[in-house]
Amino acid sequence: MHLDIFQTLADPTRRQIVEVLRGGEHAVNDIVDSVAIDQSGVSRHLRILHECGFVAVRPKGPRRLYSLRPEPFQELDAWITGYRRIWEARLDRFGEALRQRQKRRARPRKEGAK
Amino acid sequence: VTITRHEGRFGALASTIPKAVVERTYRARVEELWELWTTKDGFESWWGPEGFRAEVRTLDARVGGALHYDMIADAPEAIEVMNQMGRPISHEARARFSELRPYERLAVTEVIDFLPGVTPYESTMVVEFFPSGDHVRMVVTLQPMHDEEFTRMSRLGVTSQMTKLDTRFRA
Repeated sequence: MHLDIFQTLADPTRRQIVEVLRGGEHAVNDIVDSVAIDQSGVSRHLRILHECGFVAVRPKGPRRLYSLRPEPFQELDAWITGYRRIWEARLDRFGEALRQRQKRRARPRKEGAK
Repeated sequence: VTITRHEGRFGALASTIPKAVVERTYRARVEELWELWTTKDGFESWWGPEGFRAEVRTLDARVGGALHYDMIADAPEAIEVMNQMGRPISHEARARFSELRPYERLAVTEVIDFLPGVTPYESTMVVEFFPSGDHVRMVVTLQPMHDEEFTRMSRLGVTSQMTKLDTRFRA
């Protein structure tokens, strides 16, 4: 099953892992120290994060180092921009509703008048 | 190194999921703004979004009080999008006032329990009011919902907003 970016981040442990990786490249053991689950759990979540494009992995000697990739965050950014626009439109209407009410209150007896 | 760039993009990122902050300043008394959030008439008069109208079923402006409303597609393009997605044109939204400090701050928490395969979760928006002279600055802080359909709906929102901008600039 392919998870979208929101489903990927919906898991609290994966969010914790992403938080740790925001500090830079880490090996699995470093991550295990920072989150409350064991190595096999961390590895499983890292695999999911990797499959969904959130993390890159590179070998360094016997270790594998994990780091964040920018793409999903750019996608989130684009999404939030769209969401913000909905709200810009919504707050335009909020302002318009406010003006209508003020007009009605200022002239309560002249509803039909322009 | 990459992360520094993300921080720049999102500002102070308290959690990994980014927040959006939208704010406006209105020439009004704070009580008037408050009414638009906490009365049936007020809420219905602006909530939308574009192409949709809200019909309030319950609005109980107390901490923990219900805010239940139907979101009804009423513009042709909104109806078409809902049809294309195979969704009914009316959807009942269930939220509650999770915080309410009159004329200062309120929070609305929506229960997102309608996404197949996704564990129900809550999405909260916080609204703050800062009166100053004859103006009030209203700041809305949002946490995004993770819903593909909503994303498609926001594209519709984006589109209609863009069209509006176009018209404005052409005039």
